[in-house]
Amino acid sequence: MRIFEPHAHMFSRITDDYEAMALSGVRAVLEPAFWLGQNRTHVGTFIDYFDTIIGWERFRSQQFGIHHFCTMALNPREANDDRVNDAVMEILPRYLEKDSVLGVGEIGLDDQTSKEEKYFIAQLELAVTHDLPVLIHTPHRDKVKGFARCIDILRDMGFPMERILLDHGNEETIRVTKDIGCVSGFSIYPGTKMSPTRMVKIVQEYGVDGMIINSACDWGVSDPLSVPKTVDKLLQAGVAESDVSKLVWDNPVNFFAQSGRLDVGSMDRPAARDLASTYEGNSVLRGQDPGSY
Amino acid sequence: MSSPLEALTASLAEPAAGWLAASRARLAREGPGLLPVLFPALARRLGRDLLPAGLHRDGAMLVETGAWRRCDAAGLALAEDCAPDDASLVDLFLHGDMEERIIVLRALGLLPITDGTIRLLGEVQRTNIGVHFEAAVCESNLAVRALEHGGWNQEDLDRLVLKAAFLDVRLPRLFEVFDHVGAETSRMVQGLATEREAAGRDPWVDTNRVVARAPVDGSLERLRRGLADAREEQRLAAAEGVAYLRDAELLKLAAERIDHESSESIRSILAAAVTRA
Repeated sequence: MRIFEPHAHMFSRITDDYEAMALSGVRAVLEPAFWLGQNRTHVGTFIDYFDTIIGWERFRSQQFGIHHFCTMALNPREANDDRVNDAVMEILPRYLEKDSVLGVGEIGLDDQTSKEEKYFIAQLELAVTHDLPVLIHTPHRDKVKGFARCIDILRDMGFPMERILLDHGNEETIRVTKDIGCVSGFSIYPGTKMSPTRMVKIVQEYGVDGMIINSACDWGVSDPLSVPKTVDKLLQAGVAESDVSKLVWDNPVNFFAQSGRLDVGSMDRPAARDLASTYEGNSVLRGQDPGSY
Repeated sequence: MSSPLEALTASLAEPAAGWLAASRARLAREGPGLLPVLFPALARRLGRDLLPAGLHRDGAMLVETGAWRRCDAAGLALAEDCAPDDASLVDLFLHGDMEERIIVLRALGLLPITDGTIRLLGEVQRTNIGVHFEAAVCESNLAVRALEHGGWNQEDLDRLVLKAAFLDVRLPRLFEVFDHVGAETSRMVQGLATEREAAGRDPWVDTNRVVARAPVDGSLERLRRGLADAREEQRLAAAEGVAYLRDAELLKLAAERIDHESSESIRSILAAAVTRA
């Protein structure tokens, strides 16, 4: 089954992951800009990171036939850091115009501070200016309250809910989000977030309309194959193949197509890359096909 | 032929035309600081449709527009409108995605040579990205025109030819560069060919065309072997090299090869060279 993986921090994954994902049906990944595991101390490191996820990471992904897109943002965790927050906001407009940027994200709340709210609102305004949908990170602690606060802010701004993906949901939050018109995201992530089995139960109870699933794989103990593994569990549980396909392809594709920058037809085939080329002088390929050795 | 800007204007319809007009007006008000926000949107807003192919000359600047797209011409228009300083121009390239970088490099073909141009030629030389190399070197006489600038010289041009050989970009595609190859170019290209052959790989197909222009130690022997090479494209390059060089010993060998040569076009080149001698 063809999969659009709508939340994977491939920056911190290895080529084996790309290969396994491609073999498991992942045709496209979306890489939200986020925290890198330790705080950055100046805006230059954000610039380099943003350049990487519109450049080098796309190149790496395309070697394995996987189309690569991203969202750009000042993440909520570092929104609290005065060494970088305002400076990152200044550089965001140029990055939000890049062709491979399909949304603003991850923005939202983490510790649920007033600074996080300030930059959350400022970036929602950027989303309006650049006509982009929004990927919202919701807190891992005090989650239900954080979801409710995000929704209140969106409603106060009159932000169109169909352009919002509220991510990292669970059995509690789906009761809050299912009727408000946004897309509900579920991260299938070992230990701290959802499991494939729990996701099956949610789909059996609520269906797949307005839902997406992702791995949110990153530098932690996470699983870049959690979406294909959940696909297997859903099919085993008797969920119709058309519904599963809607969950892992149609829903994320339709959501990010609202950016006006997603050429859906181009994803009918795997991404292609001239194997003789290099990136920034990095001759990692040396003319070799990474899939055949 | 018409300039890229004239071709762009003739091909644009709404909403692209309106977006470009509004962007140029905004640029006039806000200045070059707006370019980093406008450039990423060019391909999306203007489209990637090709402009008519042809040669366009503007003073000393010569471009071949066969690969130019609407977004490239629009990028040139924006750059001409606000004349960004070197720092802005280099910033546009360094923080642009692959597409934006192509647009910047194509625009350089019709902009004055500055320190920024030289810096970007150096980036293209360093990074090995085929589409960027082609945009900077194969679609205009930028690399040769840059010789008028003190920061770019024959040594840089030699390295550029070597990079073309490394990337297997054909010599005739390097605008006007053929006229500037010298002994150092030959030495470098011949060295790469020897290294490739030792590794069991094909040498750059234009190796013998270059070394015939300015032979160095080993070049005559390379041309001699080239005439008997099993690969037709290598024999063709050697035949053209021999015809250009007109060395008596090689012409004698060429005369002997005519009856053994299976390709009619190569036979013709050899026969003409021998007859002229």
